Amino acid sequence: MIQVESLNKRFGNIHAVRDVSLEIHPGQIFGLLGPNGAGKSTSISMMTGLIDADSGSVSLSGLKPQSKEARHKIGLIPQSIALYEELTATDNLSFFASLYDIPKSQLQSRMDWALDFVGLKDRATDRVSGFSGGMKRRLNLAASLLHDPDFIFMDEPTAGVDPQSRNKLFDNVLELKELGKTIIYTTHYMEEAQKLCDQVGIIDHGELLALGTVGELLSQHGGDTLISISSDQGVKEFKSSDVSNDLIQELQASNKVYDISVNRPDLEAVFLNLTGRQLRD
Amino acid sequence: MKKIIALMKKDIKLLFRDKMAVFFTFVFPLIFAFIFGSIFSGDSGGSKALKVAVVDLDQTEQSLQFVKSIEEADEFTVTLATEEQAKDLVRRGKHVAYFILPEGFGEDYKGIFTGSPPEVLVGIDPSRTAEAGYLEGSLMKLGTDRFEQAFSNPAAMTERLDASIAQVQESDDIPAEWKSLLGDYLPKMKELTQQEMGGDEDFSFGGDGEANPMMPLKVTKQEEVVQRSGPKNAFSITIPQGVIWAIMGCVIGFAISLVQEKTLGTMNRLIVAPISRTQIVAGKALGCFTAQIAVVALLFLVAYFILGVRFNFPKLVLAAVASGVCFVGLMMFFASLAKTERSVAGITNAFLLMMGMVGGAMIPLFVMPGWMQAISNFSPVKWAIVAFEGAIWRNFSYAEMMTPVLILVSIGVVAFILGTRMVKLEEA
Repeated sequence: MIQVESLNKRFGNIHAVRDVSLEIHPGQIFGLLGPNGAGKSTSISMMTGLIDADSGSVSLSGLKPQSKEARHKIGLIPQSIALYEELTATDNLSFFASLYDIPKSQLQSRMDWALDFVGLKDRATDRVSGFSGGMKRRLNLAASLLHDPDFIFMDEPTAGVDPQSRNKLFDNVLELKELGKTIIYTTHYMEEAQKLCDQVGIIDHGELLALGTVGELLSQHGGDTLISISSDQGVKEFKSSDVSNDLIQELQASNKVYDISVNRPDLEAVFLNLTGRQLRD
Repeated sequence: MKKIIALMKKDIKLLFRDKMAVFFTFVFPLIFAFIFGSIFSGDSGGSKALKVAVVDLDQTEQSLQFVKSIEEADEFTVTLATEEQAKDLVRRGKHVAYFILPEGFGEDYKGIFTGSPPEVLVGIDPSRTAEAGYLEGSLMKLGTDRFEQAFSNPAAMTERLDASIAQVQESDDIPAEWKSLLGDYLPKMKELTQQEMGGDEDFSFGGDGEANPMMPLKVTKQEEVVQRSGPKNAFSITIPQGVIWAIMGCVIGFAISLVQEKTLGTMNRLIVAPISRTQIVAGKALGCFTAQIAVVALLFLVAYFILGVRFNFPKLVLAAVASGVCFVGLMMFFASLAKTERSVAGITNAFLLMMGMVGGAMIPLFVMPGWMQAISNFSPVKWAIVAFEGAIWRNFSYAEMMTPVLILVSIGVVAFILGTRMVKLEEA
């Protein structure tokens, strides 16, 4: 389990993370959703021990993230492509594996598994500089899985990725969940959070505004489902809560109904309701 | 240790994947050493006062007078020394040359028409061949003063004519016709000098002397210094300079790579891995050190087998290790100062080029003004060159090697401690 309590971080005058507290259960995919600069990466940096918090604490199964034991359990997929472009895929994996005391007898099989997992086995001996953006992202993921970590921190893993690689990464995330990994996934794409995450935390200006399952967030902060009916009497829009017998009779009285659409609330609406801004503002 | 070695191996692999880095680290220094070695095989002039050690073994009025004229000459800065001290000063590169006035110098100095020209034994620092011609010419100019003194001073002229008449009469080597001619000519000249000039200060003597006695000086180069100290060719001088270029290339490359780890984000992977920050820094330092040793080894292999340069192997190892420590420390220090590749490249290039210039990696120290030569003592490049030269041709003892070695190691340790304290491994 990951337990975060009252985490704070300041960079000069900027209060990057304010009193963030959360719990992530084993085997969950936890999404941290927020616009750029909201404090997602800073939160992940503190949770992985990359930077120290000004106050608050992080516990990974009872371990401090800076401890050597915890580090064996952490897999970090940084937002940037953290690879050596002039080395081959195998060279990169071999180097990163060497940092984790992986027994020699298991090294090759772990590298083969990682490359296979991200669909790059046939490019193992190619230099990273020749890879597409999506392939680099996938190798970026593979490099973090060699030591079989329990906690996988993915910081905007689909940034600048083509649709094919993005779908492959989604599949990878879900497969890792099936393997029992705990995944912390930051994104500013609400579709990703909605599709992948068991729990989502919405963060803005360093503050965790809401926390829960997607369903909980939608029901608490998403607002009503809107029903739009286009008929020979024009276009009418109703909240789902306003649907009544009178409305149905009115519809039945119409000669022609051209279109009925149902607009359910999404995380974009949740963010809008919480902050008064669009997620991509 | 395995993790440190893994870090080092990764950096070396990255270095060899970058063709430009390989060129500037391994090939360019060789080209530099070769080209400049060829250039310095020839002579070129210098115009600044040269430091020379003077040994007067004759201790006559003439020799003392000649020493005084050397001391007064603008071309030289003189240290009076014993023969041993003088040779040591040149061997250790403290002085450009030594002059020894052997016994009999004064006797020859007096004889203008007979005997041999006064001999001066000259030992020149082999790394300063560019100044050799200038130095010899300046010495000859001082030698001509004896004619001026002789022919402008009637009393001295009379004295020298008396000495010459006596030598002609006593000599068995002079052919009879010449003996007769001189026996007639020299007394008449003496008489003429005494009668007509009568101590006139404006007296002068016309004509040129083509015979040996009329040579201002006989400059005998002391091969002993050259043979004993080593270099048979100019590459012995330029190889250390080439090595410095290679080392500077390593320093720049590794300082950039350390900053690059931060900007690329690979440093984040290293920090979250079960590896300490000390190990990360040590891995980078070991990579830089190994690359330096590799390039030094390559250059000296080429120097030995192709360019014919000879050296003392244990002392060479000492010099290589000391300069390695020094420049690894500087690499860490530079990397700690900058946040981007561009800024670290700028800082490192600027500092090392300046140190290289001041330290004699590009421009020989002798053409620099005195204050800049004094500053060169603060350049690690100078001490690295001195250490390598000590192992090649200066024939340094281990005790003498300790001066540059300790200076280099001290600079390296201080810079490394400062660098590791100041460097922020995390992304800003």
